Amino acid sequence: MANVHEEFLAEAQEIIEALSRDLLLLDQAQREQRQDPDLLNEIFRGVHTLKGVAGMFGFPRLGRLAHGLEDLLDDLRLGRVALSQSVLDVLFEGVEGFQRLLTETDASEPLVDLAAFAERIASVSRRGPAVRGDALARYAFDESVLSVLTEYEEHRLRSNIEQGVPLYRLRARFRFASIDADLEALKQRAKPLGEIITYLPSAEGGTGDSIDLDILLASGEAFETLREALSGEEATLEAVPLAEGAAATGGDEGTPARPAAPGQAPPEPPAMPAAPDGLLASAPDASLAMSSQDAVTPASAAVLEVPGAPVERSLRSVSHTVRVDIRKLDHLMNVVGELAIVRSAVARLTERLRGRSEHRQLAIELHRVHRGFERHLEELQDGILDVRMVPLGQVFDKLARIVRQVARDHGKEVRLLLSGQETEVDKLIVEELSDPLMHIIRNAIDHGLETPPVRELSEKPPTGTLALHAYQKGKSVVIEVEDDGAGMNEERLVETAIERGLIDEAAAEELSHDEALNLIFLPSFSTSSSVTDLSGRGVGMDVVKTNISRLGGVIDVESELGSGTKFTITLPVTLAIINALLVRVRGRVFALPIASVQEAILLDHDALRTVEGREMLTLRGATLPLCRLGEYFGIPRDPFEADKQYVVVSAAGHRRVGFVVDGLEGQQDIVIKALGPSLRQVRGFAGATDLGDQRVALVLDAPGLLEELLSTTDRARRELRG
Amino acid sequence: MNDLVRRPATGLSRSGSASALRPQLLRELLAFVLDGESYALPLYAIREILKVPPVTEVPRASADVLGIIGVRGRITTLLDMRRLLRVAEAPISKASRVLLVDDGVEVLGLLVDQVLQVHRLQDDEIELAAAFAGNVSEHVLGIGRPRASRSVSREGRESVDPNDILILLDPAHLLRRER
Repeated sequence: MANVHEEFLAEAQEIIEALSRDLLLLDQAQREQRQDPDLLNEIFRGVHTLKGVAGMFGFPRLGRLAHGLEDLLDDLRLGRVALSQSVLDVLFEGVEGFQRLLTETDASEPLVDLAAFAERIASVSRRGPAVRGDALARYAFDESVLSVLTEYEEHRLRSNIEQGVPLYRLRARFRFASIDADLEALKQRAKPLGEIITYLPSAEGGTGDSIDLDILLASGEAFETLREALSGEEATLEAVPLAEGAAATGGDEGTPARPAAPGQAPPEPPAMPAAPDGLLASAPDASLAMSSQDAVTPASAAVLEVPGAPVERSLRSVSHTVRVDIRKLDHLMNVVGELAIVRSAVARLTERLRGRSEHRQLAIELHRVHRGFERHLEELQDGILDVRMVPLGQVFDKLARIVRQVARDHGKEVRLLLSGQETEVDKLIVEELSDPLMHIIRNAIDHGLETPPVRELSEKPPTGTLALHAYQKGKSVVIEVEDDGAGMNEERLVETAIERGLIDEAAAEELSHDEALNLIFLPSFSTSSSVTDLSGRGVGMDVVKTNISRLGGVIDVESELGSGTKFTITLPVTLAIINALLVRVRGRVFALPIASVQEAILLDHDALRTVEGREMLTLRGATLPLCRLGEYFGIPRDPFEADKQYVVVSAAGHRRVGFVVDGLEGQQDIVIKALGPSLRQVRGFAGATDLGDQRVALVLDAPGLLEELLSTTDRARRELRG
Repeated sequence: MNDLVRRPATGLSRSGSASALRPQLLRELLAFVLDGESYALPLYAIREILKVPPVTEVPRASADVLGIIGVRGRITTLLDMRRLLRVAEAPISKASRVLLVDDGVEVLGLLVDQVLQVHRLQDDEIELAAAFAGNVSEHVLGIGRPRASRSVSREGRESVDPNDILILLDPAHLLRRER
């Protein structure tokens, strides 16, 4: 049962994400005054499918919401309701609602007010009176043609005529054996040129093994272009004749007259009143009409069809992907970790065997086998890591939806620039990243970007720009969120921090520009004087920071008053396996992720200085604060420890600290495993790892420790002064 | 082999044996020793009994956490039963064992001095804590006085010590921790 539920969630999530992407495209098309019937159909299909799966898996509330939206989309598709920004608002709300309903459980409070949403749908879908004149009268259509058009086809036909797009009829012969593929190929060729409105069997029927289809096509392209692209031995193209008395261009005022080369354009055989070879002038053999319609008419069957894919009558699924529960991958990762331990045991045995002259030959062979094993193990490890990787675009899509909504709620104009969506990171990181990013973005729109009038006062374009850039940098992924808004007011940040009692005035005077900006990451800090529904609801930047450091990342902020703010998030590409430096501290072994290690040096006692009670080391002209890990963690001194000590220089973002340790035990690939929930409140450790031989070592959370050390340095500094 | 006993968490209590038919009459308990006294936890709460693997101390963890251990690839928090019950501390010995218990949120290890045997007790062999109200901690459910003939040791031999008194612990109370 649980499995079925998971399956449903995964499938619904995919559909919702696709809907969200398509809605954004539709929004863009609407702003550019473009019509995109294909896209609208795609969205309609998505909602329809969601309704289907919701019914199948017993999610009645989700089904109801989908049903309501489906009706609205149907009205849009059929032109009964015009697409507008307020209709788009409702559609976006609907998608948001789907998302929330997925997290709703029987026990929880209902997260979506379905009745209220139904009202919203009703308010936008009140149909206006049909204002269109009878556009169809402009062409000489046979009544029998019009009578077989579906409502959707008729709508598309009218819509094209109203926009002054010329109509053509393509008569093509198809063999029954290959009609599906051939028709699909023809559709693909026609797609960039215009819109296929319908296809019907032609009156002339065809031969025993083939059928002629009349394809009604609306296109702004020149006749010659169309003929070259579509006509062939078995296909002829002609313009659909105009009705008597109707002028080709005499449509609605303001209709853009499509460029049509003189002499080639529509009324070729002028005014042929209800020509006998018009579209379907006489009804063909009924059974033939039925079967051919079954095979080719998209109107009803297409609802669940994958668009653009060949209409293959096969039960094989089109997709070559499988959905995998991330926990299964975690399990595989653990197995690989165990194998790595086996590998090092084999390596040790090989070494021992080498030492014995009588087994030399055997040792060499074993060594060779071991190398092969090692290589394949690495491949396996890389393979599993690769499977876990997903593009950041997954989060970006969700964020784009939020940007649109927040901007509209606040009367702000926002242009969203995305780049690097293809950058891949571990699935777990992507999941954990969406909330922090969402918060930063909401803040940027709410507090950062100004309203259009304010922007114009400061000679900025009325539309604000919000940019999300992602790129890979070595073993890290960098995500930048940048706005061209008002920037942060350093003085106000400091004032607020003093008001809240987070720092005292003396300390405030000592703050550098960067330190002042970093005040926003302190718990219970919020400068918004008015609490809006967006930001200032208790979740502050400190939570953002905590979440990001839990992923082993760091966040930095740069801001200039008047010109904007930029947040830079640096994250490891993958969480699962990392290379680590093993260090010994008073007899205990800790692992330090190599990503945060700059270098390790022998501690030179002569280079030690004490500045305000803190040990510092002068390293190549720069001052490096030191932390003696043994004392810091309160580990009892080991009487047998040698005097020789090492400094491991560790960095995260701009910060650096030297950890003083008693020994370096070498580098090793480790699988980081989480500590149990009962140790969650213990700070300073990113997890633990198996070292083999049953021993477990704690993995230091370098960014977290740095953070902790440097903020206590600041506090100590202030206390000494105060 | 580390595993002396290995069973699903809810094994016996729901397996349709006599205990399921007469749930109140028969209680299965695992007895163990701490500082010379015998204690018992309901058998259903115990997943596994292990020899003590190498323990890694966790700086900054609360006092009753001894450290972490690796149990077949999983990092498991090890608690010291002596510290939980405020009994004088003692070093880990050869007889020490780890009881793996699942408290619903995670699997925890509990360090005990020695594992004794499984007891099956009738209701009349159990005195509930309510009966001698007052001087006991809330994690004590009661006192068990097994009649020798009912006890079955791990090796299948019957126990002969008639003077066993078991302090029956409530796992839910024992493991209620801040998280």
